[in-house]
Amino acid sequence: MSHSTVPRSRAEAKSKTAREKTPVASGGVTGAEGKRPPGKLSLKVRFRRDRLLLLMTLPALVLVLLFNYVPILGNVVAFQDYDPYISENGVVSILNSPWVGLENFQRIFEDSAFWDAVRNTLVLFFLQLVLYFPIPILLALLINSVVRPRVRAVAQAVLYLPHFFSWVLVIAVFQQMFGGAGMLSQLLRENGYNGLDIMTNPDTFAFLVTAQTVWKDAGWGIIVFLAALASVSPDLYEAAAMDGAGRWRRMWHVTLPALRPVIALLLVLRVGDALTVGFEQILLQRDAVGPGAAEVLDTFVWWNGVRNQDFSYAAAAGLVKGVVSLGLVLAANKVAHLMGEQGVYKK
Amino acid sequence: MTAVIDKPVREPRRWAAPPRPTWEEEPSKAGLAGKGLALSLACLAILFPLWIVVVTSLSSRKTIDEAGGLVMVPKDITFIAYQELLSGGQVTRATVISILVTLVGTLFSMTVSVLCAYGLSRSGSMGHRWILMTLLATMFFSAGLIPTYLLVQTLGLTDTYLALILPSAVSVFNILVLRGFFMGISQELIDSARIDGAGDFRVLWQIVMPLSRAVLAVITLFYAVGYWSAWFNASLYLNDQDMMPLQNVMIQLVQKQEAPVGLGQAIKTGQLSGLAVQMAVMVMALLPVAVLSPFVQKHFKKGMLTGAVKG
Amino acid sequence: MTPNAASSGPSRRSFLASTAVATAAVAGGMPLLAACGGSESGSRDGTTSGKDAKKILPAYVASNVVTPDIPSKNGSAIGFTSKLDLADLKTSVSKKLGKGGKVTIMSPFWGSPPKQNNAYYTAMNELIGVDVVWQNQDGNTYDQKLGAVLASSDVPDVVVVPGWNMGGKIPSAIISKFADLGPYLSGDAVKEYPNLAAIPTEAWQRSIFGGKLRGLPMPAPYAPSMVPLYRQDIFEEEGYEVPKSCDEFMALAKEITNAKAKRWACLDMKWTAFQAFGVLSGAEKPLGWHVVDGKLVNRIETEEFLEALEWSRKLFAAGVVHPDSKMGKNAPDPGPKFAAGEFLIYPNNISQWWGRTAEQATQNPDFKIWGMDVWGHDGGNPTLWADQPAGIFAFVNKKASESVIRDALAVANVTAAPYGTKEYMMTNYGVEGTHYTVKDGVPTKTDQGNIDVMNAYVMVAGPAATIAHPDFPDVAKGQVEWQQRMGAFAKRSSFWGMQITEPARYTNLSNDVEQLEDDIVRGRKKISDMQRFVSDWKSKGGDELRDWYQKILDENGSAAN
Repeated sequence: MSHSTVPRSRAEAKSKTAREKTPVASGGVTGAEGKRPPGKLSLKVRFRRDRLLLLMTLPALVLVLLFNYVPILGNVVAFQDYDPYISENGVVSILNSPWVGLENFQRIFEDSAFWDAVRNTLVLFFLQLVLYFPIPILLALLINSVVRPRVRAVAQAVLYLPHFFSWVLVIAVFQQMFGGAGMLSQLLRENGYNGLDIMTNPDTFAFLVTAQTVWKDAGWGIIVFLAALASVSPDLYEAAAMDGAGRWRRMWHVTLPALRPVIALLLVLRVGDALTVGFEQILLQRDAVGPGAAEVLDTFVWWNGVRNQDFSYAAAAGLVKGVVSLGLVLAANKVAHLMGEQGVYKK
Repeated sequence: MTAVIDKPVREPRRWAAPPRPTWEEEPSKAGLAGKGLALSLACLAILFPLWIVVVTSLSSRKTIDEAGGLVMVPKDITFIAYQELLSGGQVTRATVISILVTLVGTLFSMTVSVLCAYGLSRSGSMGHRWILMTLLATMFFSAGLIPTYLLVQTLGLTDTYLALILPSAVSVFNILVLRGFFMGISQELIDSARIDGAGDFRVLWQIVMPLSRAVLAVITLFYAVGYWSAWFNASLYLNDQDMMPLQNVMIQLVQKQEAPVGLGQAIKTGQLSGLAVQMAVMVMALLPVAVLSPFVQKHFKKGMLTGAVKG
Repeated sequence: MTPNAASSGPSRRSFLASTAVATAAVAGGMPLLAACGGSESGSRDGTTSGKDAKKILPAYVASNVVTPDIPSKNGSAIGFTSKLDLADLKTSVSKKLGKGGKVTIMSPFWGSPPKQNNAYYTAMNELIGVDVVWQNQDGNTYDQKLGAVLASSDVPDVVVVPGWNMGGKIPSAIISKFADLGPYLSGDAVKEYPNLAAIPTEAWQRSIFGGKLRGLPMPAPYAPSMVPLYRQDIFEEEGYEVPKSCDEFMALAKEITNAKAKRWACLDMKWTAFQAFGVLSGAEKPLGWHVVDGKLVNRIETEEFLEALEWSRKLFAAGVVHPDSKMGKNAPDPGPKFAAGEFLIYPNNISQWWGRTAEQATQNPDFKIWGMDVWGHDGGNPTLWADQPAGIFAFVNKKASESVIRDALAVANVTAAPYGTKEYMMTNYGVEGTHYTVKDGVPTKTDQGNIDVMNAYVMVAGPAATIAHPDFPDVAKGQVEWQQRMGAFAKRSSFWGMQITEPARYTNLSNDVEQLEDDIVRGRKKISDMQRFVSDWKSKGGDELRDWYQKILDENGSAAN
């Protein structure tokens, strides 16, 4: 599920403000609420008016509270030596597990494996930012410039396809093609060259992971950009052309500015998600290059928590990651605001 | 506020280029060729491996052994791998489970999300700002794998299919897209219906939803793909092997390269290769989404455009 | 993708095909993750031996139902090589002990489990008199599931736990969640279950957890079980000689390797290297300690350990190792590539000797796999270390009623039946006619047998370690004789045979050793990284742990011979 994209642009902000200023006629109660302090209508009246709407949001709200907010409390195990076997109920186990203060965090910061994971995570993040991020934009421009509808539809269908492949399949295919005993290696050896080592070389692992990501998701990533491109009024192009702007200048002066808010938004989100890189993908290849090169924060948490059953330790690592991520997204958003972009949320 | 009504705009499906606007210059030959080449290469990079996977799944053991692994050129087509997989047993069961989880999960997610999106679509309604913030905030943090795991365990959801649906039932992003689309629907239409005495549920059902087919199709696909390809929750929360969905069985098969038990004999008698079985399971896991998505594809742009980009 | 998955360590996949239960999976090279842990509270850590143990150990009553063709020697399994005479099968369970109750059993399973009510399960349940309901888990990720199940309120009546899954807090869970079987089995009480009484005492000794007899053991031979397996047919064809030293191996490996023709000499030979250099076992944490010159030393502190890693690294560096091996645990199943002759030598559990033979017999008649004798690195005799006499245990839920416990023991009494009995045949082959057919004294599983009769019942408890392959008697003979030759070189380390639970604070101390070994061997880390790790290990608790073990040694005496 593409959870990483929230394409909401400056245009959205404008239309929303406009809407909020528009008088809303609802349930016989009319009034320009946008400007008016809400206190003018009594809570009771508002509740009566909107109770159905509130009821509708309830199921989703409950689910989100339960599965996104309540578990935050569970992070207390990071300050414990959590023993899941004390009782048969997680809450009771938490209440009965001994408190150890910051010991788990101390252990983490002394753990070279953790710092390996931090380093690998950051390296992968930057590499993907530079090598992966621009590709969907370029592809979108390319697709957008295709005018024949059917060619376009077919190309899109093909480009979206790998998004639906699971990582197991992607990696199996890469392995069969580029592995040390794979198709390409054997071809090379038969012709007197050395076989390839790209699937098991820790030094180039980050590039391998990035290449796999490009193959799998670059096509899917174009959707948002295509949507943004389609929202550009043809009049703008025409006006630019009338002014004598050629193909490239039109792209520079009309197309790219239209993409700017989306790009800014996606960048902010990407930065906020910087510490989340390729969990499944890496888990499946971790042993091929060793955790020294492959471990990222998410796999570190999984490995220690789920495999080694060291819940407290893993939870502590997860908590560190969560806090840093939150800081990153707030900072990135701030930067976006300073640059005059909308970012994820408004001020 | 302009009414954004989703008229079924059908893109003309033609190979020929539509006439260019008069102001646009003719493209250069080199430019066209370059574009064509780039696009073809991108498509080839995707289709070639896919071709190999499909061909291998349809190959006999002999062909696979001769090729020393994946088969590029089909020599003999046999459906034995698929027949074996679908003749009952683990893979068949897992396929049924995956289909059911996807159907029920998608229905549930859509119901919850559409209701919530509509409930939040009238600005100025009571509490909507708070609820929106509550939802939005979840995009900035995650409670973490371990605490979530402990919660699901405490709720007693382990070893139930609810564990595959509830924790991932709501995608805030999808709700936002839906909400954005709903907000773009002509307020006059809604108001006039309300004057006629329609309640919110009827407005949603009879006016908003029919006008939102594009975005509903897109979001349904998103949810369905999510449920269909999910494997992680199952690997965490299901302890009963018999309950595993298709993706998990596939992972087991591909990673461990173990043929499902019933197939042992077919493999031993030499007609069937374990590799073909793996590839066949991959194709099965891929097929539904790969077949469905092109139909919904035409809505992507519209759904995203009106839903998300414009808000 | 398990930390100690089948491909690099000894194979647990071997369960797939193996009926030689006793020898399977309880291997010499079980990775370090498989170590014990424990909780600080009470008497949970430590061990029980001597007088305390005597009080709770079951009496031993040898089984005289059948006489093996090759008796046990030097810690080998007993071997059966003769034809099977169905009419002559003995009965070891004279009366049905089950009381017809329902018993749920959770157990690791390699491959995909059969349907719940298949003919095999029905026949077994009928034979035992208990309605066993299986909860099979993927063996490759069993540790993960085990933790989740033990933490829930839904612990099955019987849970099978292999020693290599006893990491982290699992040992403390075993002690707090599972019943003391002492009242049913200690001393003469066991005589009610004659097949359990015939389980060697050493295996029972290993089943004492937290001072109580909690486990039903699957006995294992303590002769080494990690065999360098090789393609004897190709060796003969090409005139290769089995090497007798590390240098000879290297020379041979270079001669064999021809990457252009898609042939390499071997897979990762780390496990063999450990044997050749006489490195203490990493199978279980206590086995890694031994008194050298009056002082307790851990395997990772020894020169031999580093030398073995260095030699294994050289093999990789020389390019004689199959490229798949670089992927470690992510590597695909080596079976097909071994059959295709892409590599000729690999170390694995002795059960694969038979497993691969059976697998290839029909379609690849020339294929012949055999086990090399382990050589001393300098060409002399090797120093090998004894394996544990039991490594897989079945436990009964503490909350189970007495009748459920009795029924569970009835199950174990049938599954522990010795070779040559009706119960053994049913447990390992299923129903005659349905699951196997006998031709010329050789039972062959049918399609149905290959689906139904997998590693379910055999996990509960086993007879004294047995190797019997009526279909390939020469393999059975080869296996037992290999064990006897190698067993002659096998020494017991100081804590051999004890079930020791380390204090919880040390459980994660050497989590990373195995990974580091693999990284060094593959050239990603250096020997100096291991040296640094070892000095860290000492200061972070290794030295304290040494003192802790010293105390156990002082109290219990050494097992070394």
